[in-house]
Formats: sequence, structure tokens, C-alpha cells
Amino acid sequence: MLSEVFVIEGVLSAPTFEGWVRSHADRIGVAARFRESGADSVSVLVEGPPALLDAMEMACLLGPIDVWVERIVREAA
Amino acid sequence: MNWTPAALSQDIPSGSAAPGQLGDKDIVIWRSASGRIAAWSDRCPHRGMRLSHGFVRGEFLSCIYHGWRYGDGGQCHRIPAHPELTPPEAIKVPVFAVVESGGIVWVAEKDAEPADLPMEFAGFASFRTIRTTVPASIVAAAFGCTGLELRGTLGGTDVVLLLQPLTDGCNLHVLAADGTGPDQLDRVSVAVEALRRQAESVQEFAA
Amino acid sequence: MNGGAMRDQWYPVAIAAQLPQKGRDSLLLGEPIHIATDETGGARVTDGAGRILPIISRYGHIWTSLGQPEQDLFPIPEADQPGRRLVDVGSVKVRCSPLRAVENFLDIAHFPFVHTDILGSEPHTEVERYEVEIRDDVDEVWATKVKFYQPQAAKSAQGGITTEYMYRVPSPTCSILYKTSPPRPGEWDVITLFVQPLTEETCEVWPWMALFDDDSSMTDMIHFQQMIFVQDRSILENQIPALLPLDPGKEIPTRADMTSIAYRRWLKRHGYTYGAQLVAA
Repeated sequence: MLSEVFVIEGVLSAPTFEGWVRSHADRIGVAARFRESGADSVSVLVEGPPALLDAMEMACLLGPIDVWVERIVREAA
Repeated sequence: MNWTPAALSQDIPSGSAAPGQLGDKDIVIWRSASGRIAAWSDRCPHRGMRLSHGFVRGEFLSCIYHGWRYGDGGQCHRIPAHPELTPPEAIKVPVFAVVESGGIVWVAEKDAEPADLPMEFAGFASFRTIRTTVPASIVAAAFGCTGLELRGTLGGTDVVLLLQPLTDGCNLHVLAADGTGPDQLDRVSVAVEALRRQAESVQEFAA
Repeated sequence: MNGGAMRDQWYPVAIAAQLPQKGRDSLLLGEPIHIATDETGGARVTDGAGRILPIISRYGHIWTSLGQPEQDLFPIPEADQPGRRLVDVGSVKVRCSPLRAVENFLDIAHFPFVHTDILGSEPHTEVERYEVEIRDDVDEVWATKVKFYQPQAAKSAQGGITTEYMYRVPSPTCSILYKTSPPRPGEWDVITLFVQPLTEETCEVWPWMALFDDDSSMTDMIHFQQMIFVQDRSILENQIPALLPLDPGKEIPTRADMTSIAYRRWLKRHGYTYGAQLVAA
């Protein structure tokens, strides 16, 4: 198990984004806790096995249609 | 909700998978090497490939696209591109309730599983399924009946016809009286094909 | 007017060396087009109103556009490199979104299951980490350092080898694959997938190759590649939904899907959505 902070940057003002991230985390079985939420940056604590953290990053990079994710910086928690 | 007849047991031999429907949902019906039957959503959660195109090994059904392997309860057990990962419980295929009785595979929504077991048809054995693009109501009318469970004779043999509505027509699951011999069964086949053609001509005429 | 931002792109509609003598009707972005041979033996492509469309003859194919392309067709420098054999593979019609056809071409994890004992085999299923980027200077998606064990990587391959791949997406319905050339390990074989979007849910796939292979017959090389695409077609026509999702909320992409995700992000950023589904369903 790994704990990482995902700093997600982009155009993230859509109110549905946080729910979308939580819902995807539930679908793939990783824990996701929001630490900070802004219109252009969001930071989420993500916990799970390495391959699933990668999977979480893949899904969030594309995200829902009403947000644009520019990049995700992953840092050890 | 009642149980829906989705296939005949004989058409899903051990180690095979086949597409089916429950209402407007596409399902995969498959049987493991040891003979366990299952009905799941016909869509791999990875990238949407139909699981009915997949392959059965032992007690698992694998997606043909990337080999994701699923077992009891729809649980994912292996992702071949990432062999080190033990997939979490969260990754699973939605499943349906399924029970076999009288040579028929019956399915129902998992959260609306009927309290009673499916109806039994004493004195009849499952024979074959044919599919038509005609709605069940027109097939029933062509047989001189209404409803989805029809009784009568075809080719001189007593039969039960179970009609399963599909999004584009219906399945006719044919049960023939116990002890019907091969020659008689051939006549049942000819008669049920004739029934289908009759129903299809009614539909064409109506259109 | 179909196609949105994709209207101004170039699309393949015919093999240049096999122009239809009596003309042929086809579709592009859901609109009727007609491909014919003119008085000089060259290609002429017209739309449903009889308007003559711009054409380019390159990489073995005739390319056209319903819009006003600002740019020339993307470059493939290897096409002019001496010693390569240029192979017009032909066309395969597929009942799938043109974008799904490209996405599948970018995928290696399916090799052991869809192209069993040819491009992959169990237990060699692991996908090692590779690199993906959107190159801003050329506005292309690139995946590099992609490695996979292959029992028979090409018609010219003798036995199993670990093949290295690079993938390139220079336009929304075209992809170019560079892979280790079995007879010339220092060079890259070039295999392309040029896709003609007929409608949002049907496409014509025109593979084309520029290979180092002095031994195989042209027929054998064509048959090898056609066999691969026919195997892919059985996948492409059975994915749900038919359109390519630009929201992965009903899917589970993993690190092995990194090229797919980069391709979809690039489509999303440019509004290349003909054949795409915007909301997960």
C-alpha cells in the first residue's frame, strides 16, 4: 500500500469534479480524501497498491468532459 | 419481477459463454469447468468489451480483449498487464440472479430476485430455442394464445413454449413432452419454424 | 456540416494505384462523396453536390477533405528512405467508431489474447512502463520505449523477440507505428493505420507499410497484416458503447492504457469529437 498526494492542475471549476473523483476511487478500490479544492488546483490524498494509484492517475488525467486536467503531480504523503 | 427464461441449460455446456438478454440489458451466460452457471453484465469494466466473446478456464471467465479474469460474484482476480497486482474487491462485473430448473436457465435482477423458484413443467423436457425478430405478442397470437407461457401441440406433440421478450423480437424456448422420440422432435422443429414464419408474415403484413 | 473541428483534416479514401475505373460512392464524416478517375488518369473526389474536393496523393493513398485544411498532410520521412518496400495493404470496413479503431491500434496489452502466438503470447502479458507525451511543437501524441515480447513480430521474424515500439498520432484518425525491424535491428519498420471515418459508428481502415523485408512476397506481407486487422475487427465491433468515451467514468484505465488516455486527452483538447461519446454511459 502506498499513500500519495495527487496535485491535480487544470480547469477544474466544474462542481461535479470532486464527486467524479470519489466515485472513480470507489470503483477501483482506492481511498481518496480531498485536502484542498480550488478552481485550478485540487489536492487529493490517495491510498492503495501502486498499480491502482497509477490507474487512478490515468482516469483523472482524462476526467469528466466538463473539466480539463493539465497535469497531475504525485508526491509521497 | 418474475424469473426470465434466458437460455436452455444444454446450450451452455461447461467451459462456454454465450450472449443473452434480460429486459433491455445485455448479459453473458457462462458455465465453469465444474458446471457452475452464472449470468453477468456483458461488458468488461476495463474497456467495454463484450464478455460473451471471452474464454472460460476452470472457474473463471476472461475477457478476450486484455485477458482480465473474473470469478465467483463477478470479482476480478487478475489483470495480465499488471501481474503483480491483486485486484481489489471493488473491481467486479455486475451480476444477475440465476437458477437452473427443468433444463432452463432462469435469470432475474439481483436486487429483485423473486422469492419463489421458477415454475416447473412436469412431464416436459427442454428441446431447443429459436429466435425471431417478431414481438412475443404476435408469436403468441400466431399460436392462438396470449401471454408468455403457451401450451398446445406442435407437429402432433404436446409442447410448452416459453416466450422471452428481447429488445428486437423474442426467443421461443421449446419444451416437448417427456419421451418424445427423435422423429417426432424433428416434426416439432418443422412446426416451430413454420410458426415463426407465420408470425413473421403477420408482422410484415401489419407493417 | 458534420465533423466540427475534424472537418478540416485530410482523410484517406482510396489506394492511389487502384483508382476505381467506373467511380465509387463512399462516405466521409457521414456525407456522400464520389471517387473517380479523371481524363488524365488522376483521382477526382467530389461531394454530394458535385463540388470538387481538394486531394493529395501520398503514402500510397488518395487523401481528401470536406473542409479547408490549413496544413499539409503530416510528414512520414521514412516513406522516402531507400531500401524500404511500400505496401498498400487494402481496406477493411469496420462497424466501429473511427476513433476506436485508432485507439485499438495504440494498444499492446491485447496482443497475447487477440493476436495469440503472433504478436503476443501468455505468460508474457506484463506491460512495462513506457513514456507518453503530447509534443507541442508538432502537436502529435507520441508513445516511446514501448517493449513487448512477440512470438512472431512480422512476416520476416524468425522466432520470438522482444520488440520495441514507438507510436505516433499526427491526426485524429491516423496513427503511425515504428517497430524494430527483424532483418535490420538498427532500423524501424513503419506500419500505419489510416482511417476513413464513414460515419460516427463505421469506418474504412487503410493500413499501409514501409518495411525492410527483401524476402517475403508482397502477397504474404499483405496477408499477414490483413490477418492482424481481421482479428482486431472482432474486438472493435463488440465494444460498449460503440462511440469512444471521452469520460472514463464507466471504464477502468490502467497504466497499460497510458497511450489510449493520452490520445483521448488530445482529442478532447482539440474538440475532435466525431465518433466520441462525451459523457460516460
